[in-house]
Formats: sequence, C-alpha cells, structure tokens
Amino acid sequence: MADKAILYDATKCTACRGCQTACKQWNENDEGAGEKTVNTGSYENPPDLSPQTWIKMQFREVEQGGKIKWLFNRRACMHCTDAACVKVCPNGTLYRNELGTISYNKDTCTGCGYCQDFCPFDVPRLTANRLTGIAKMDKCSFCTTPGLNRIAVGYEPACVKTCPTKALTFGDRDKLITDAKKRVETLLAKGFTNANLYGEKELRGLHVLYVLEESPAAYGLPLAPQVPPLAIAWQDVIQPLGWAVGALTLVGLGLNYVVAREAKIAQELPPPENKEK
Amino acid sequence: MEQQIERYRKPTRILHWVNAGAFIALFLTGLVLFIPPLASIAASNGSRLIHRVAALVFVVMPLIYMATNWKSSWKGIKDAFIWGPDDLGWVRAAPRYYFLSDEKSMPPQGHMNTGQKMWWFMVIVFGIIFVITGFIMWALKTSAPSPLLQWSVFIHDVSFITTGAMLFVHVYLSVLHPLMAGAWGSMARGKVSVEYVKSHHAKWYEEEIAKTEKAVTK
Repeated sequence: MADKAILYDATKCTACRGCQTACKQWNENDEGAGEKTVNTGSYENPPDLSPQTWIKMQFREVEQGGKIKWLFNRRACMHCTDAACVKVCPNGTLYRNELGTISYNKDTCTGCGYCQDFCPFDVPRLTANRLTGIAKMDKCSFCTTPGLNRIAVGYEPACVKTCPTKALTFGDRDKLITDAKKRVETLLAKGFTNANLYGEKELRGLHVLYVLEESPAAYGLPLAPQVPPLAIAWQDVIQPLGWAVGALTLVGLGLNYVVAREAKIAQELPPPENKEK
Repeated sequence: MEQQIERYRKPTRILHWVNAGAFIALFLTGLVLFIPPLASIAASNGSRLIHRVAALVFVVMPLIYMATNWKSSWKGIKDAFIWGPDDLGWVRAAPRYYFLSDEKSMPPQGHMNTGQKMWWFMVIVFGIIFVITGFIMWALKTSAPSPLLQWSVFIHDVSFITTGAMLFVHVYLSVLHPLMAGAWGSMARGKVSVEYVKSHHAKWYEEEIAKTEKAVTK
C-alpha cells in the first residue's frame, strides 16, 4: 500500500482547535474528569501534549516589519520514516504499520519511556506513577488504535474529518506532496516569499507534511531533525553488544573450567614423572 | 576439622547477600528489556515495581552498613582504590593462570586478590553510576532535558552489560571454579580453611594471620 499522510496547511488554519476536540472524542481521551485547563495568557490550551492530548495547536506571535503575525502550528506525532521511537522501543510496542505511520500496542508497552527521551519532536507522553514507575505511553496513533481504527474502514483521521477550512487533508503521501508543492508555488506567487514545504525529506520523510509561510524555525520546528545518535546506539550497538559480551564471558568461563579441572586433577594425583623418580 | 579463619564478618555477609539478591532482582527485571519476547513481563508492570524496590534496597543497605560499620567500610573502600605492584603482577599473570593453569608468575595476594579487587572496585563505581543514572530516569523523567535522559539510558545499559557479565564471572569463580572450593564458605559461613588462605591469599596470611597466630601461641 502506498504510504498515507496528513497534510497540514498552516496558511489555511484558523486554529479553531476542532482537531483537538475531535481527536479526543474519537480516541476516547475525553473520559473521566478530563484535563483541567488553565489560563496562561494564551489561546493555547491545554499547555502541552499529554497522554490525553495527542494533538495540540500552538499559537506563536511573530513581529514582522512592525506588524504582529500569528503563526499556527499543529503539534502531534510526525510519523517519521526514520523513527527514533521505533528504534529505541525495547520490545516492538512501537512499530511502523502498513500505512507507513507509527502505531503502538498499548498492552505491551513497558512504560520505559525511552521513546519520550529520544523523540526529536518531543511527542510521546507517559501516564506514569512516579513512585512505582508503572507507566504507559500515548501519542497520536494516526487513528489506527485497534477497535478505533478509522483508516482501516476507509475513513480519514478524526482531525482531518473535522477540519472546517480544509487545512488538514489526508491521502497518499506522494499525492499530498504534489498538492503541497503546488500550494507553495501559489503562495510564493502571491508574495509569501518564505513559503515552504516541511516534512518531505526530514528524517527520510515525515507522514505529516507542512505547508508553512515562514521558516520552520519560526514555528518551533527543528530545521534538521535527527534520530539522536544514542538512539541508534541502543538497538544497533548496545543490544547486540550485550549479547556478545554475555556469550564471550560464558565461553571464557567454560574454557577456564576445563583448564582448572585439569589442574585440580593434576594436583590430587601425583604427576607420573615424580613416581618414576 | 582443619583450622578455620574468619574471612568475612557477619554484617559484611548480610550486606553481601542482601545486595546480591537486590542486584540479581535488578539484573533480571532489567534483562527483559534485552529480550523482546520477554518484555511483556515489564508490561504487566510487576517487574517495574520490583526493579524500584530492589533499587531502594540496593542503595539503603550499604548506607546502613557504612553508618554502623564505618571502620571496615573505610578499609573496604581503601582496598578497592589502592593498587600496588602485586596487583600489576596479578594482571600480567592472570591470563596464563586462568587459561594455561600456570601459577609460577602469580604474586602472593592479600585479603582480596586483584581479580576480587577489580570486581569490588566495579561494584562501587558502577553501583554509584547505576544509582545516579537510575535516579535521573526515575525521578526526573519529565523534568530533565532529553540529552541527559538519553545519556542516562545509555550509561545505565552499558553498566548493566559490564556488571552483568562480571556477575557471571563472580558467581562462577566463587561457586563453580574447581580450585576455589573455599570461596563459597567464606561468604556463606564467613570462614575458610588455613590451607585455602595459604594457597590463595598468601600475602594476607603472612601479614595478618601468621602474626596473630604467633601472638596466640606465645
């Protein structure tokens, strides 16, 4: 199957936050008392991604030629092709699904939180008991959570479905890239000289693409996101190294056992050349 | 029965066994992260709690020991960090001794031989590293900057591999090694035979035991 993606066109977004609400409703993150919102002097709410908030609109004020410009950004899992979370997940709880996006199996999540430590976009969040360490990770599942899988039945993700300005669109990644490039050209022609597409090449391709009217940095997006080198070390170096060191140790001990047993037998029996003397 | 010499006092033995138990619990509950099919054990969350309880025991026991046995603690710490020419000699002679059974160039050893000293040194150093990196991951998970957490994971794991491999060496040498039959008794009952001391810890015998024996016989 061709890779799927979500295209977020920041120039069409009004930051109504309908996506936040639709996401919570569909994914059953609106249950219980919900999250308490606090006025922090911004329309942004809740203040951060959380185990119940998988998508969140960011509001940024930028001054440009004496005028204030409001930049909106969609904060959620980017579904990277080079996914650090998948690399560091010890037991394959996080995995790339057939859409090319990153799903997870909450039942097997050990709550180690390595994904949170290593994500270049700081997305995964843990529901954790600090005392016992009992924890589970949550993040945007691209609406593929078993039992709540919209994509499998031919729907678009909940956030896309609800977006009133069509700032969010869903489809084949290749087609969305073509759409996005066209849109960037239109914006450039209209005088938005910094317009650009984000996510085509980053981390060998994100599955959330961004049409932006300013540099990604202005939206708080990393210009060159990278899988942290230590993340590569964990799966590709540390795990095999661990087994190699363990195996070598056992081989060494086995060898020594043979040698030492010989020596012990030799100690207990007088050596034959002594007998001859 | 052969004459027996006290090698480890009771508080030392209690510390050893409690921390050994805690370390093995920590080792096994950490090991599941290296065996993907077994990691579901950690998902049921019981192992994570065990890891934390064992970690507390692992930290608290040495503190209690140090508070109540400061003199031997200090001596133990000094033993781990002060290395002499005989230690260098041991390191040189060890490969031939362990793999070719050639004891000729092995210098006489003190209360701890150099191999035991290395392990003891690692226990102290890696123990502290484990505690610091573990504390960061436990208590500062949401507040510490990502690079610090990433390095903590990395260092915790490298320490795990190093000490885990050495744990096998330690258990092997003290329980299974054909020529070290007295080692088990030294930590189980605290006593070893004079013969064992003479052959494995000649320097200790010369410096400490022989002196007191003379004093007794006088």
